[in-house]
Amino acid sequence: MLYLLTVVVYPMTYAIALSLQYYRLGGFAGLHNFTFAFHDGLLLASLRATVIYIAFAVGTEILLGLVLAVAVQRTIRSTLGRTLAYLLFIIPMVTPPVAAGVSFRLMYIPEYGILNVLLQHLGYHGTPILWMSTPSMAMFSVISVDVWQWMPFVFLVLFAGLQAVPLDVVEAAGVDGAGGWAQFRHIDLPYLKPLLLLVVVFRVTDALRVFDPVQVLTMGGPGAATEFLSLYLYKIAFKFGNLNYASALALYVVLAVSMLFALFGRYLSEEVA
Amino acid sequence: MARSRSPWRILVPIVLGGLAIVYLFPFVWMLSTSLKPNPELYTQPPTLWPVHPSLEAYHAALITAGDWVLLRNSLVVCLATVLLTLVLALLIAYPLTRLAVPPAFRRGLLSWLLSLRFLPSMVVVIPIFATVRVVGLYDRLLALVFIYAAFSLPFAVWMIKGFLSEIPPEVEEAALADGASRWRAFFQILLPMLSPGLLAAAVITFALAWSEFLYALILTATPRAQTFSIAVWSFVTEFEIIWNQMAAVGVIAAAVPVGLLLLARRYVISALTFGAVREKA
Repeated sequence: MLYLLTVVVYPMTYAIALSLQYYRLGGFAGLHNFTFAFHDGLLLASLRATVIYIAFAVGTEILLGLVLAVAVQRTIRSTLGRTLAYLLFIIPMVTPPVAAGVSFRLMYIPEYGILNVLLQHLGYHGTPILWMSTPSMAMFSVISVDVWQWMPFVFLVLFAGLQAVPLDVVEAAGVDGAGGWAQFRHIDLPYLKPLLLLVVVFRVTDALRVFDPVQVLTMGGPGAATEFLSLYLYKIAFKFGNLNYASALALYVVLAVSMLFALFGRYLSEEVA
Repeated sequence: MARSRSPWRILVPIVLGGLAIVYLFPFVWMLSTSLKPNPELYTQPPTLWPVHPSLEAYHAALITAGDWVLLRNSLVVCLATVLLTLVLALLIAYPLTRLAVPPAFRRGLLSWLLSLRFLPSMVVVIPIFATVRVVGLYDRLLALVFIYAAFSLPFAVWMIKGFLSEIPPEVEEAALADGASRWRAFFQILLPMLSPGLLAAAVITFALAWSEFLYALILTATPRAQTFSIAVWSFVTEFEIIWNQMAAVGVIAAAVPVGLLLLARRYVISALTFGAVREKA
C-alpha cells in the first residue's frame, strides 16, 4: 500500500507543485501555466486531432465488435469454431503496440509496401497512395492500427456477455415470433448495456493515451496531423524540457478523466463488482 | 426463422475467414520481410515470400547492432517485475480476502486500485521522470522494475483476489485446526492451490511489462537500461530505415508475448477487464 502511495500519490503532488512554477525561472507562477493553455494554438490542434481519433477509432471498434459478437453468437455453434475465433482475436491484443506499429508501417510503405501493390492488382492505377505522409491518410493509418488491435477486445467482451443471455428468454421470444432484429433490440442489447459502457470507458481512456504505435508510424506527423495529446505532452516535456507547462496540461487531463470516471465509475463498479 | 437465418450461416464464417486474413496478414508480412536478404527488399513488385529466405537480418540486428543486450535487459526487467508484483499483490489480496477487514475499506481499496487503471500514464510520467532523476535511478533497470510493478499491481490484485475467493476458507481453517501455523497454512496449503492463478497473473504481468514503451523511452538513455521496445522503435528513427532488421526485431517483440499469452489465454480477457468478464476457451 505504502508502495503504491509513493509511486502514485507522491508524483501527483509533485506534478501540482511543478505546474505552479514558471518554466526555467522557477518561483511561484500561480495559474500562469493553466491559463496559458487557453492561448495555445498547437494544443487546440492536438485536441482536435485527439477527438477525431477517439471518435473514429472507438466508434468503429464498438460498431464492428458488436455486430461481429452478435453474428458469431447466432451462427457459430461449434466449440471448435468459437475457440478458433477466440484465439484469432486474442493475438492482436497481446501484440506489443510498438510491434503492431512496425508491422503496419511495413505494409504502408508507399514504394515497397504490400498495400499499394494489392491496390494495383485490384485495378487502382492512380498515383501511389502516401499512407503516412498526407494528413488524412496518416490519420487513417493510425486509426487502422487501433481498430485492428482493439476491435477484438470489444468483440471478446461483448461475446462473453452474450453467453449470459438466458436461452429460454431467447426461445420464448422466438416462439412469440420475434425476428432477429427485435431479439437484438429487446433482449441482447439490454443485457449488453453495462458491458458496452465498460468497453467504452476502457477504450476511450486508452485511446486518449495512445502513444506507442503513433510514435512508430507517423511520429505525430505529417506536420501535426496525428500529434495527439500524449505526443504533444511528450514533446513539450521531453523535447522542449518545459516540465511545468506539461504538468499543467497533464493535470487538465487528470481532471477530464476523473470526471469521466466519476460519471461512469460508480455505475460501473455496481454493475461489475 | 431457420429459413431466414440460413444465408447468415454461410456469410458469417466467410466474413470471419476474411477477418482472419486481415488479422494474420500483418504478421505474415512482417515475418516475410524479416527473412528477406537486403537486395530482395527493393525488388519491384515486392515478393510476397522471400525467394531466398535468410536469417541475415536477425543476425545483423541482434549481434552486429548489439540489440541482444536490450533483449537481455527486457528479460531481466520483466522477470523482476513479475516477482515483485506477485509478492506485493499477494500481500494485499490475502489479508483482503482472508482476514476480518471492514467491507467499506475493502471496497474502497479495490475501486481505488481499479481507478488507477484509467489514469493516463502521460500524467504521471513527468513527476516520475523528475523523481527518478533525483533519486539517481535514471537509466537504471531498477527504476523500470519499480514502475512496471506499480502499474501491474492493480490488475494483479484483482486477479489474485478472484482466485483466492474461489478457494473456500475451510481448507485453511482445517489446516489451522490441525495445529498448523498461519504461515504454514499459507505456504503449504494455499499457495499450491493458488499456483495456476499465480502463473496466469505472472504471464500477463510479464507480457505487459514486455510491451511497455513510454516509460522505457523516457527513463533510459543507453543500452545499459534500454529495453527491447526501444530497440524496435530506434529502427524507425534512423535516417534510412533498414526494413528487414526492423521487421526482425518486430517479430521477436511480438512473438514473446503472443506465445506466452496463448498459454494463458483463458485469463487474458478477465485480466484486462479486472475480472468484469469471465470467459472460457
